[in-house]
Amino acid sequence: MLNRKNAEDITKIKAREFLISMTPLKLFTIVVGILWVIFVDILILNVFASASPYFLISAGLHVLLTKVAIVIYYNQSVLIRRVDISDPIIATQEKIARLKSSTLWVARLLFLQLPLWTTFYLNDALLKSGNVVFYAIQAITTISFTFLAIWLFLNIKYENKEKKWFRLIFTGKEWSPLIKSMELLNQLNDYTATDTKEKTR
Amino acid sequence: MDLKRDAQTFLSVIESNKGIIYKVANSYCRDEENRKDLIQEIIVQLWLSFDRYDETYKLSTWMYRIALNVSISFYRKENRRGEINHPLPDAIIYLQDDPVEPDNDVERLHRFIKELKEIDRAVIILYLEENSQQEIADILGLTITNVSTKVSRIKQQLKQKFSN
Repeated sequence: MLNRKNAEDITKIKAREFLISMTPLKLFTIVVGILWVIFVDILILNVFASASPYFLISAGLHVLLTKVAIVIYYNQSVLIRRVDISDPIIATQEKIARLKSSTLWVARLLFLQLPLWTTFYLNDALLKSGNVVFYAIQAITTISFTFLAIWLFLNIKYENKEKKWFRLIFTGKEWSPLIKSMELLNQLNDYTATDTKEKTR
Repeated sequence: MDLKRDAQTFLSVIESNKGIIYKVANSYCRDEENRKDLIQEIIVQLWLSFDRYDETYKLSTWMYRIALNVSISFYRKENRRGEINHPLPDAIIYLQDDPVEPDNDVERLHRFIKELKEIDRAVIILYLEENSQQEIADILGLTITNVSTKVSRIKQQLKQKFSN
């Protein structure tokens, strides 16, 4: 039987504070991301006068893309929490699944940084003293990373979710909500398509 | 009817509609421990939106919407244990459920329902609970014609499974 004690217990549950209600993994990801961005920003400011332009440009672009990824990730988490779950199922699930799928943007931005990891250590002295082998390895690495980054940026999208390489990248427990959200969007498309047809008749 | 929005009223609402919570949670969660978490999450979400309950809809419509939305979202996540932020006492979670008769066909039906995709499962749960097509449409946010089409399609799927 539910009694007065139960009533007291349930009234203790107030509207959830966003940060408290976030899963530890999400919170950890955001905190680590912010700490990393602060660290790189401080590093850039401290070495700005003496560092090579390769480092400054690489680190600057890296930190910029990471900041955008953090904002998208945080914003997505906030918007998911704001979805009214007392709304009808199809619309609510579509909203949640679309927001979850936007995690793909975070992955795209993080992959876009790939070539920057092949240029941040370069400087004039290294380039002047390098031999043919060094130039060849450097050029092949940077060009292939750039190609891969652009290709992934353009191809990591909902439409490619069934491709083998996509499944390979987004394998593991941390990506399963994303994959399931995309599968759910497929189901929802079936429902909303029929509904739209009927309404336009 | 003006429904009081206090904790006692809330508890009596869930006590008298506990079947909705149980049936939905059972259909979306096989594991007993996870199911306990799911039931808890549904009750918490019902309580958090109790103030915003729109009395133009039936209480059962509101409860089904929340129970199904929470269950479908919950189903997407894995390893839920330990993620519950507001543990509730067992007395609230373990609302006495109606005993299920050990019938072979009923058991098979339940198993087949659990094999359906999440949204199809929601449609058939609502249908089997004898909700009107209008209420199913309100809960899902679809037209009545669409509901009727989907119910027929899913019934056909289930018939096929039974005949195999």
